Amino acid sequence: MSEQAIALLVQLGLLLLLAPFITGFSKTCKARLQTRRGPGLLQSYRDLHKLLRKGMVIPDTASWIFPATPYVLFVTTLLAGLMIPTVSAQAPLSWAGGVLAVVYLLALGRFFLALAGLDAGSSFGGLGSSREMTIAAIAEPALMLAVFTVALGAGSTNLSTVAEFALGQSWRFLAPSQMLAFAALFIVLIAETGRIPVDNPATHLELTMIHEAMILEYSGPYLALIEWSASIKQLVLMTLLVNVFFPFGLSTDWSALPLASSFALFVVKLLLLAGVVVLVETTNAKLRLFRVPELLAVAFVLSALALISMFIF
Amino acid sequence: MFFWQDPQFGDKMITLMAALILVLQIMMVAQHWLVTIIRVFAVQSFLLACIAATIAYFNNAPHIYAAAALTLLLKAIILPVVLTRLLVKVDIRREVEPFINMPISIIISGMLTLMAYVVAESFQRPDELAGPASLGHNTLAVAISLFLIGFFMMTNRRKALTQVLALLSLENGIFLAAISLTYGMPLVVEIGIFFDLLIAILVLAILVYRIRATFDSTDVSRLSRLRG
Repeated sequence: MSEQAIALLVQLGLLLLLAPFITGFSKTCKARLQTRRGPGLLQSYRDLHKLLRKGMVIPDTASWIFPATPYVLFVTTLLAGLMIPTVSAQAPLSWAGGVLAVVYLLALGRFFLALAGLDAGSSFGGLGSSREMTIAAIAEPALMLAVFTVALGAGSTNLSTVAEFALGQSWRFLAPSQMLAFAALFIVLIAETGRIPVDNPATHLELTMIHEAMILEYSGPYLALIEWSASIKQLVLMTLLVNVFFPFGLSTDWSALPLASSFALFVVKLLLLAGVVVLVETTNAKLRLFRVPELLAVAFVLSALALISMFIF
Repeated sequence: MFFWQDPQFGDKMITLMAALILVLQIMMVAQHWLVTIIRVFAVQSFLLACIAATIAYFNNAPHIYAAAALTLLLKAIILPVVLTRLLVKVDIRREVEPFINMPISIIISGMLTLMAYVVAESFQRPDELAGPASLGHNTLAVAISLFLIGFFMMTNRRKALTQVLALLSLENGIFLAAISLTYGMPLVVEIGIFFDLLIAILVLAILVYRIRATFDSTDVSRLSRLRG
């Protein structure tokens, strides 16, 4: 097997196996902060395992979109994940596309999910879809601008090039443009992964739910696929933040020894970021839905400022 | 040479703090809660004092230390305390909806920053090397945007107290411009400005209290009618 193929398999395995762990870690952490005991770290794996063995119910009104969506979502999220440098600066699919491809693969998955929410024919699904799209319409420009700021410094939208460039410049994250872009991307991360100021992943309360409302009609293996892609998407976005802004110790190729240390550092950085997200979740109340655009407008302006400050300073 | 004696490092830190000041200014525009706005202002002033101290350190200019200390004492400590007390006295906790709604105000602030950048660009001297003498020159754009956003906030908010805070942040912009371009004005002038400011805020505080006592509200848009 060529090195390319090995890299591909390693990263694929990493995405599939690490993503539920990060989700589980967040849940446990959050429970501990709220002085609950919480589920074990492996609960997400058990949930997936259980869901994959169950039977499922498909609404009578559903068209082909309903069964196709879990697969589309899963595949697009994985593809996006393969274009992002995780343990090595050389992403296995970096030849296939850069950050624009990542953003729009994620958008494609979201598009199908929103369609599926409508397709199921329940009123909650449509409500969730419309909310998801409202948020995405503002979060996406912020994401794009922040990413452009980073890409502008490196002179390329290819994430492997960006990561290598960032690796070559220590203390780069202290530059104002980088900090602003990081702050903007952090807000986008919270919005896109449905975390508390924007959405609450732990509730099915009809007044507040967004992501949960869209997938309300899913059950069994389809639900497992959707949950799994949601955690992979979270991993992808967190990796983007971690590796583009704090790339210390990132291996530049796929040889074994640097890869091991790179992997250890990568997991530590991810857990730290997850910890910060959980901290934000625990210390904030959920925003009213009509206040969410304000938060996202802040993210948008932060990333616009980041882009401007590339030129000011 | 230690890294903290390197003007390059000083330049980086000043740039970073200036960027944070700008972010805080936009946070003020985005805030409803008056207490938070006061706190944000205090932090902003603290950062401003830090910038002044950094410039003083690299230029060996003791009178800027004095200006930094005055900023810290007056704007980061005394004024926030005075304003918080006033807040308790007039019993107003949050701003009503401003004239232009929040998301659009935030985006307008972003555009004002862009405009400030365009204006400040004509002052840039790219041939200058980064040394102690040119420290902080690149913060002019930030200073101008503080100024513009402060103005915008003054016209956009209804409460007299928020307008006072907007005025103060606008003054922060002027101070930043002065310190980054000229290494501070002579100490006498600085002290004059600070006392001016202190008195202005005390007078404004009394005025806000009187407005509240007379109209049962500090909404200045109610002051447009003359009464015989």
